[in-house]
Amino acid sequence: MSESYGDKISRIIISFILFLIALSCLAPVLNILSISLSGKQAVESGQVLLWPLDITLQSYETLFKGTRILSALSNGLQMTIGGVLLSMAFTICAAYPLSKSYFFGRRVFTLLILFTMVFSGGLIPTYLVVKSLGLIDTYWAIWLPGVISTFNMLIMRSYFEGISSEVEDAARIDGCNEWQLMSKIILPLSMPVIATLLLFYGVGYWNSFMSVLIYINSTDKYTITVLIQQMIQSQSLLTEALANDVQAIQLVPDGIKSAGIIILILPMVIVYPFLQKYFVQGVMLGSVKG
Amino acid sequence: MRRVFKGALFRKNIPLYVMFAPVIAYYLIFRYLPIGGLVIAFQNYNFFDGILHSPWVGWKNFQMLFSTDKTILIIWNTLWLSFLNLIVGFPVPIILALLLNSVKKMWYKRMVQTLVYLPHFFSWVIVGGMVVTIFSLESGFINQWITQHYGEPYPFLYKHFSWVSIFVGAGIWKEMGFSTIIYLAALTAISPALYEAASIDGATKWRQTWHVTLPGIRGTIILVLILSMGRILEVGFDQIYNLRNAMVSQISEVISTYIFSMGIQGGQFSLTAALGFFESVVAFIFILGANLIAKKFDNHLF
Repeated sequence: MSESYGDKISRIIISFILFLIALSCLAPVLNILSISLSGKQAVESGQVLLWPLDITLQSYETLFKGTRILSALSNGLQMTIGGVLLSMAFTICAAYPLSKSYFFGRRVFTLLILFTMVFSGGLIPTYLVVKSLGLIDTYWAIWLPGVISTFNMLIMRSYFEGISSEVEDAARIDGCNEWQLMSKIILPLSMPVIATLLLFYGVGYWNSFMSVLIYINSTDKYTITVLIQQMIQSQSLLTEALANDVQAIQLVPDGIKSAGIIILILPMVIVYPFLQKYFVQGVMLGSVKG
Repeated sequence: MRRVFKGALFRKNIPLYVMFAPVIAYYLIFRYLPIGGLVIAFQNYNFFDGILHSPWVGWKNFQMLFSTDKTILIIWNTLWLSFLNLIVGFPVPIILALLLNSVKKMWYKRMVQTLVYLPHFFSWVIVGGMVVTIFSLESGFINQWITQHYGEPYPFLYKHFSWVSIFVGAGIWKEMGFSTIIYLAALTAISPALYEAASIDGATKWRQTWHVTLPGIRGTIILVLILSMGRILEVGFDQIYNLRNAMVSQISEVISTYIFSMGIQGGQFSLTAALGFFESVVAFIFILGANLIAKKFDNHLF
């Protein structure tokens, strides 16, 4: 079947629209990257667009020497890694039993868990629970209240349910007990969903902002996300005094701020391409069966 | 025989319950206990007396919420911003998914997908930083361009209309790509035979989209709509916190930021818990209501 002239035109238009949309996603990142790598003069005159001018690493140097970013970076990594491990363990512990048809009370538990997706106590009661447990100012306060994302757990449960029961029967006949079945058979077969959830939880903890703001009081425990946010905010606070003192705005140059943003983006951009095929699969699974 | 079977079943369940015990504890402590903790919305809660001994005040906190100008404004702001997010943002991923679906060159489709999924993984700190940089008065390239051509920079982030546009636009920009995944999944489930039949009947590409593709993903569209109804009173804290500034405080104070500043920072736990309670109940009613309507169209969630 040959393509009509009209179809061809519309195909070209669609490709072009998609090109613009993709560009709109890439351009701000390139702009920030270029600003972070450009000289002060070029940045202040607003000439930097999608490529750096007078390339220099000055912004990164100032950022690493002049701020507490290194300790905040290590805080962010610790918080993220700890949180991901904890969340994965809890999510598996929830998803595995719920995927088994012989699990007593599976229906009731599923309903009770689903209910928490449509009704929640909200921030204040949760805060009071965390406070009364004495978790304030520890990373446990960030990890525990959301340790299981019910949505992620359902994705994993669907995946477990999709694993053929013949595999399970065969393993049992060979003498596997429940632990061995899970650790040696089911989990190794579930690598795609595990990779997906590692990405989701990892990104979630790395990006977590409100919980750090609420539960962490000592500034030396701040994660990198919050530190960078305060750098950005303090500048925009200065911008509010815009007409009064133009010179004050130069206190925190755009370059340093952009360098901070790039460092926040970096881990995601590094892991993302490797995990893309997994998370697409994972989300589809969650959406089709969940 | 039956007893033996039951015994085996029981033994099979022991390891499952050992695993599941921490999960039960988690949901009880961090999900159900806070729901119970909502009783403080009917109290005058203070740390000294705790939940058990704080004095009861009945509906006073709610009366205060709905009679104070400030809180009414905040509820209104929240409704308005999330309504805009929903109305403007809802069709975008559907259109994007349809566009992506019509691309025949796989490498091109994959490249576009890779790029549009990316912003989903950026935190609002990152997006907020980008917005402030790009639209800034002094050095943002947009205002540089405007200054060169028209002389005066435009304070995008300080005018109400442009701020709201940027707020909604940033939300769409961040999530449009990722939200296509669910629609693309639904699109692959449409049988190619339907398209063949339609094209034999002489349907053009546009008519095929209208009569085959859209009905084919109707269930998914309704599902996503129901789920977003539950967030009608919710403007994400991170989004608003990272995009707002003092010049637009009149329109950018929403429920989540108010609970944060008045409750967590200001210690008015009962009042803000009442606000949170109101938010949860409205969300719950909206989800059930949307589900009820969807039932009429035979596409319900529960």
